[in-house]
Amino acid sequence: MKINDLLPAFITRHVLFALIFGGVCGIGFILFLIEFDHYTSTEEFCTSCHSMELAAEPYRNSTHYKPESGVRASCGDCHVSEGVLSATWDHFMGSKDLYKQMFGPDYDDPVVNALHLPEAAFDARKWFKKRDSATCKKCHVKEAIYGDRPDTLQIHMEDAKDKTCIECHYNLVHRKIPDEKTFKQDKWNAMIEEEFGLEKGSAKKILGH
Amino acid sequence: MSRSKQTLFFLLAFSLFILLGQSVSAAKVTLDPSSWGVEEGKACVDCHAKSSSGLTHQWKNSAHAQANVNCLDCHQAYEDDDDAMEHEGSVIATIVSPKDCGRCHETEFKQQEGSVHAKAVSIIKNRMPALTEHFGSLSINDAGCAKCHGSEVKVKGDGTLDPTTWPNTGIGRINPDGSKGSCSSCHGRHQFSKAQAREPSACTHCHSGPDSPDKDVYESSKHGMMFEAHKSEMNMDSDAWVVGKDYSAAPTCVTCHMGAAGKMKSTHDVGMRDSWNLNEAVSTQQYLVIFDDGDKRELSTSDPVPRRGESVSKIDGSMGKVKAVASPKRRRGAMTKTCLECHSKNFANNAMLQFDNVVELYNEKYGKPAQAIMQELYAESLLTPLPFDEPLEITYWSLWHNGGTRARHGAAMASPSNTWKGMSDVGRLFYGQFLTQLREVAGPEKSEALIKQYVKDSEHHEWLNHPEKSNPILGYGKMGYGKGSSNEN
Repeated sequence: MKINDLLPAFITRHVLFALIFGGVCGIGFILFLIEFDHYTSTEEFCTSCHSMELAAEPYRNSTHYKPESGVRASCGDCHVSEGVLSATWDHFMGSKDLYKQMFGPDYDDPVVNALHLPEAAFDARKWFKKRDSATCKKCHVKEAIYGDRPDTLQIHMEDAKDKTCIECHYNLVHRKIPDEKTFKQDKWNAMIEEEFGLEKGSAKKILGH
Repeated sequence: MSRSKQTLFFLLAFSLFILLGQSVSAAKVTLDPSSWGVEEGKACVDCHAKSSSGLTHQWKNSAHAQANVNCLDCHQAYEDDDDAMEHEGSVIATIVSPKDCGRCHETEFKQQEGSVHAKAVSIIKNRMPALTEHFGSLSINDAGCAKCHGSEVKVKGDGTLDPTTWPNTGIGRINPDGSKGSCSSCHGRHQFSKAQAREPSACTHCHSGPDSPDKDVYESSKHGMMFEAHKSEMNMDSDAWVVGKDYSAAPTCVTCHMGAAGKMKSTHDVGMRDSWNLNEAVSTQQYLVIFDDGDKRELSTSDPVPRRGESVSKIDGSMGKVKAVASPKRRRGAMTKTCLECHSKNFANNAMLQFDNVVELYNEKYGKPAQAIMQELYAESLLTPLPFDEPLEITYWSLWHNGGTRARHGAAMASPSNTWKGMSDVGRLFYGQFLTQLREVAGPEKSEALIKQYVKDSEHHEWLNHPEKSNPILGYGKMGYGKGSSNEN
């Protein structure tokens, strides 16, 4: 019996080859995406841009980098969604950062970086909120947050029942930035100017306002 | 009546009105109760009872909780406030400033705003660095000086409070909203207790130690002794706290400096009843100048008397229009009013006379000569302008700032042991160190001229001119005072 006898008439030999080839390519592409997403989520990849090294500095002193448990969360664990499609989409959207890195302000300059940091933080917080803190929940389970004090679990089960992680837990990992509601650009600028010993008012010029 | 006498009469009458013409009961909150108990703030305690149960417990036991004043009523902030921050969906501030408290407690806010307490930073701002930075460092300022005087709270660009300036409950704290002071200095946070603020410990938390020895002074006075013995009879929790009516076992610091007595109302302007300045090298009597915006300052009687409507500089350097002036005599009158609830007029006046005599003795015998000598040494460049780099400067400082303050405060508050200890410290420093170091600094000729002019020619130091007179106090000689007696040795 020939293989052709088992298949409908429209599956010709060419179609079969095309299907097998396409299938293999498809699997290969998915595997590639998985690997690609995996690699592009690593700290090593992210910090290959110098500007990200500046964001990574405070991260390396945070409990997410040095947890008692030894379970380290790397960049992508928090900032890239789970699932190959979502992860790829996040990376695709994230490529705007790459575009800005190449054609936008000089984020590698610590001053420029610090001045623009609040915008990035506000965007990131919105991203977490929109996804109901999905990446936090990959590791953290509200019902299992026992903490050091007896009331920690109770607070999470009762008072934070309808809240999502990011609503309370921001400023955990990166440089502390106030909530957008109470953020004051001029005060932020003044702080950065003082920190880097810059002339008063120079931050505004750097930001191009 | 001449015009100036008429003006003076008016000023006195007006000051009397300000000081005495208020009703007896404590100031009531006049704000409509719908202004507090904000809906958004009702849930805060659900979480805080778990996360910070201590402070929540304090609040639950407070008069605030009973009146339905919740966390957000005091802690709410506007988004554009410097120290505003987002917290669980609300915009709040950590610091509750006198201005925040004054939303309901308007009278107390206004009284404290003009008081010397509120200016505890502003008054010494220029002088303090010499002491803190030469003897310590900025960290001493943050953890020591500023804890009582107050810090200038700085809000960083990221909305956090500069950790060198906060936490702080110094009485003259300069708050991010520009208001001065800290109600929690005396009342504590969250329980916000009247009783706590009436305790002497509320004051002696800061008014103790070498340069403000009022803890020692009060505790060793008859007043402090009675307080200790009759603490339970003090009715400290009472809403109204009029001496002689709501309590009579003993006076605390609050009784005399702030308390209600007879028709005189209580006040949160703590220095109002003080006629002397006892914390300077030389004490002077002080006018209390009241500006038309309610702000106040003190002026020495050695300055010209400011007139009503005149422009006078305020503590912060800006100019203010004088509304009224309370004379030292009037201020003393207010202080003495409290005494009369327990003592006769003569008793009170005589006690004040004994106090005044000690201040004048200190001034004439030590304060003025030492000050004059120091001024001449600076003028003739025998001392560098830099404070505390020469031993004589440290001696001079200890003389008036430590010993001199103890003697004068001891006399003010009837502590015989501190009056004597202070004055004997001053004498020991003056004769034992100051004059010796003066000789080293100025050389034999100049120092002898200065000592003759300011010391030996003064009746207070006349005894130095009779080295032949003996006395058995040091184990040598006999009672040598009186003519010829020294020859018997």
